[in-house]
Amino acid sequence: MISGSLSSFFVMYKTIQGSFFLTFFTDQCCFKMATSTSTPTHPPVRISLIAGRYLVFDIDAVMVLRRSFGLCGVLTGTMPQNPTQNLFLSMPQELRAEEARLVVDRGAGYVADEAGDHLRLLKEMSSGVGEKRREGYLRELREKKVAAKRLFDEEKEAVRRMHEGKRGKGKKVQKVEEGGGGGGDSLFETATAVQPAPKEALPAITPSTSNAMLDPAGTSGAIADENLPEPSAFYRELNKRGYFTTPGLRFGGGYSVYPSDPFKFHAHYLSSCYGWDEKIPMLDIVTSGRLGTAVKKSFMFGAEREEEEGGKKRGEGEVRMFCVEWAGM
Amino acid sequence: MTTLNQRTSALTTIVLNNLQHQHDWTALHPHTQPNLPRTLLYGLPPKRLYVHPDEQVEIIRAEKEMGNGGGRIPQEAELEWVLPLHLSEKWSPAQFAAVFDALDARPPRSREITKEEEERSPWLAYKGSRRGKRVLLATVQDDSTVTYYWMHDGLVKPRQN
Repeated sequence: MISGSLSSFFVMYKTIQGSFFLTFFTDQCCFKMATSTSTPTHPPVRISLIAGRYLVFDIDAVMVLRRSFGLCGVLTGTMPQNPTQNLFLSMPQELRAEEARLVVDRGAGYVADEAGDHLRLLKEMSSGVGEKRREGYLRELREKKVAAKRLFDEEKEAVRRMHEGKRGKGKKVQKVEEGGGGGGDSLFETATAVQPAPKEALPAITPSTSNAMLDPAGTSGAIADENLPEPSAFYRELNKRGYFTTPGLRFGGGYSVYPSDPFKFHAHYLSSCYGWDEKIPMLDIVTSGRLGTAVKKSFMFGAEREEEEGGKKRGEGEVRMFCVEWAGM
Repeated sequence: MTTLNQRTSALTTIVLNNLQHQHDWTALHPHTQPNLPRTLLYGLPPKRLYVHPDEQVEIIRAEKEMGNGGGRIPQEAELEWVLPLHLSEKWSPAQFAAVFDALDARPPRSREITKEEEERSPWLAYKGSRRGKRVLLATVQDDSTVTYYWMHDGLVKPRQN
């Protein structure tokens, strides 16, 4: 039920945020290495854990992750009307478990148990504590309505002007204008008419999405660190060195590793992560090396060194990496 | 029954013969060391086998500065490490790490590159102080096929093939 209402939310989100999204794509994303977990200049990134997937729904958060943390994730949102159109996917962004863990470890955000948190917020809404939140939600609804109306009006106005330009100042145009001013607009309230707050007597609204109920600076529903996925030292090391990673299936590896933002560079490596003492068949190394060379990349594999005596925790040890490429003989 | 030692030495012999007779390598020597799991080889390929992409950039820059209409800087071959392996083997990252930790980047008898030479022609540093650790994996199959793949220690960007 929750995921269903979320998907309807994506569509709405897309129409409203569409223009922002385009600027995000054309913008040169310069990746600044945020080396320390110093005081963040952005609200904590909310990663929603839904059905075992780590999703980010906020476009600003996606930009923060990409620019300052070298995380590009995978955009997964599609249009319910045309689900096979998958070349240009949109929000939400899905992160791998180790990426979600990295965001938390670097103090940039938190992972929220979305289903549980949503129900908790709903319950609170009917009690006194949630009254403010309810008002916030209604305000957000109203703002969205005004924004949608403005967009609609602008579009209508543009169409009208286009027709006016084509036909000149004939009688017909005047008729259209009269019709537009009378019948057309009466279907919608004007922007000013929407502004006054709804009467208290209105029936309560059940929010189908959580984001309007949330305090952007809060960490509602955050999952405790010990219940988060294991950190991956191999991935953390790549991220620390400024590499971006995407799922590697399209080049035949575990990850595709880019020297910087994938918008600007081709992948340098296709890579896999092994255990320190995991036995790798030679044929795997040879075939991956061969494949890597065929796609002008090098096959890189790595492992976290396991300390013999106590030493460091898992996910914090030294990482060794090796690159394999065809020798040309 | 053959011992493990005998089998790996047979492997070394196959690779040595293959390099010498099929690939025209010279100056081939076996190399043993107490902290190495098996005998490695080092030798001189007939022409240079590996040029780091950054070195290539330096060479092209030097050739441009030289002028004289597309003149090339002659590339001398350098000694390379070879690790003989059988296709049926399975090695862990720990084992590869141990091999790299035990080896010098430059095999014994490699030509010394002096500081002055490196300053005069920066690309020479990739044969000297800036040479990374790399080993040629020579993987043998029972039909005597030997395939050769480079393995570099650490992140080394791919060549522009």
